[in-house]
Amino acid sequence: MTLVAVHNEGPSLLEGYRAIAGDAGLGALEALARRLRGHRVVMVNSTATGGGVAEILHRLVPLLNELGVPTTWEVMPGDERFYAITKTIHNALHGRPGSLTASERDHFLDVNRHAAGALALDGDLILIHDPQPVALANWRRRPGQRWVWRCHIDLSQADHAVWDFLMPHVARHDAAVFSHVSFVPELAIPAYLAPPSIDPLSEKNRELEEPEVEELLAPLALPRDTPLVTQISRFDRLKDPVGVVDAFRLVRRRERAHLVLAGGTAEDDPEGEAVLGEVRERAAGRRDVSVLLLPPDAHRTINALQRHSMVVVQKSLREGFALTISEALWKRRAVVAGAVGGIPLQVIHERTGLLVRSVEGCAFQITRLLRDAGLRRRLGHAGHTHVRGHFLHPREARDYLAIFARLAPEPAARAAEYSPAPPE
Amino acid sequence: MSEPDGFEVRTVVHLIRPWGEPVSDLEDLHAAVAAAPAEVLFYHTLQVQLRDPAASELPIDDVSAWVGGVIQDFETAERISYSVQNESGSADQVRNAMLTVLDSLALSERSSRRAPAECVLQLLVAESIPVPIGLTARDGEQLVTALTSADPGIWFYHVIEQPWFGHGAFPLAEWLQAVREARLAGWVRESASPGHPLERSRERLRRRWRRSRLARRIAEAEAVPEDERRRVGREVVARLLKRATSPGNEP
Repeated sequence: MTLVAVHNEGPSLLEGYRAIAGDAGLGALEALARRLRGHRVVMVNSTATGGGVAEILHRLVPLLNELGVPTTWEVMPGDERFYAITKTIHNALHGRPGSLTASERDHFLDVNRHAAGALALDGDLILIHDPQPVALANWRRRPGQRWVWRCHIDLSQADHAVWDFLMPHVARHDAAVFSHVSFVPELAIPAYLAPPSIDPLSEKNRELEEPEVEELLAPLALPRDTPLVTQISRFDRLKDPVGVVDAFRLVRRRERAHLVLAGGTAEDDPEGEAVLGEVRERAAGRRDVSVLLLPPDAHRTINALQRHSMVVVQKSLREGFALTISEALWKRRAVVAGAVGGIPLQVIHERTGLLVRSVEGCAFQITRLLRDAGLRRRLGHAGHTHVRGHFLHPREARDYLAIFARLAPEPAARAAEYSPAPPE
Repeated sequence: MSEPDGFEVRTVVHLIRPWGEPVSDLEDLHAAVAAAPAEVLFYHTLQVQLRDPAASELPIDDVSAWVGGVIQDFETAERISYSVQNESGSADQVRNAMLTVLDSLALSERSSRRAPAECVLQLLVAESIPVPIGLTARDGEQLVTALTSADPGIWFYHVIEQPWFGHGAFPLAEWLQAVREARLAGWVRESASPGHPLERSRERLRRRWRRSRLARRIAEAEAVPEDERRRVGREVVARLLKRATSPGNEP
């Protein structure tokens, strides 16, 4: 098993959030944490690095511990074939063509069965993230435990066959959580809505002074006096990096700018390399485009890139949420983003950013922003306020604790109901 | 006669779930409003206040926002918005107010005013999770401090949500009455009446309460020995002088 060690040895996260975002949202969070004293939370996902979920858990787990709710994070073990299968599942749930053979289904379940034996799962409140570990509940549910499935994926156009395969496993949970109302399928268990969030204190989002930004960007050899247009995300076809290059070519007919496509690949994403190749091919020969493959820990570099960008783009074709948008809005950047998935929750068109549905629309809005400093300022300011109210970690932690408080028995009743037992 | 118990102060978190079929025209909306449980109407008309508690104006309810912004039926949107703001004392009042507006349109009009496929209205239901904040108020002062603290959820739960679902009961005002804070109870009841932004209502109560305490504070000050009063007076004058002669105050 892989138990991810996450500690916060620095200053109090809670006090940090209080200093940045005020007391308003923290009272309820602290009250819920007191209500859940005596319970133990276990988070489970399929990767410790890369992608938004791992990033959230790296901060949410220490936050919950600081609040007095003991929380651990376990990564389920898997093999290469398993990750290829879960990538197919991921894409099919997002609406791309794809299906699973009987053998692939069996392998998916075998890996879950094996993981069920290997993971500790020694809490009474279990939060399973995304489809990879969705079948664990079949083999490891104990009396008194409450299991919640947290889906970060847009299921609004999910492939029926793939969803029908997963649904019985989802139904073994006590509740499910989705980022947006349009993602919620028909389910026999309660389906709650809770968008994900960013950490304003993390290396990726904290304030940076201008000299620090320059120092961090120096090794990237980007032009100094040219406005940057940036998309930061995994090299994934659903993020449409090739479409961004095409939009940027249209922008360059009218405006001077430099495009940066920066991202990494997640451990559980076998397609990343191929997509990176496609992007490099599309941008070949262009000196006004930089394609940067960043390591998973390049958080400060990403911070500096976002802060230094005049326009941040997230031209996704399908999207669970796209936390890069909240990151950019938090830094008061002007954002152009695809009107898909959870993006419209963050980008309210013409108020906190600009929504687009095509290469041409993307080019038009980037051009508009490059030309209008007042518009950039207005959208950036409103975006920052919007994120502070809705998309910071304390709010997400509060939502999870509220769901657990709804599902979990009061401590006295729990003592009689739940007793940890070794896996079968 | 025994003293009443203290009042357990709570804040609230709302868990949100989808409810019913998506609404795509005003006839769908009519049917949905008629059938919706109180928790759905609560979420779309009242809970909007808690989503932006610092708003200087009362936030627009979700239903009229959709009718105006998506259906582009501005007249109906205005009328729903007005009726929701003025008839929002209970679920039945809100429901009747909205149905009255929608009933004034012919069935054919309601059916023809449609949203594009990607802009249908999915109604949501709010499940309330009230959570004790660890304070049991013993008097009006403690209660007002909690109600006007940083967490707007405390105010929202006790002043707006509890009476809305209470079928005439108003636990907070009733407790204040029992501890002989009748005037404060009246102000709290007044604050629950519709049409005021949350933060403004809180600020108003805070000011009223402070003013009402002025006489009591003066009476308490009179009981302080003369020497102590002089010392406090000297400190106040010194602070005023310092402020008046600081560089920022120079002409």
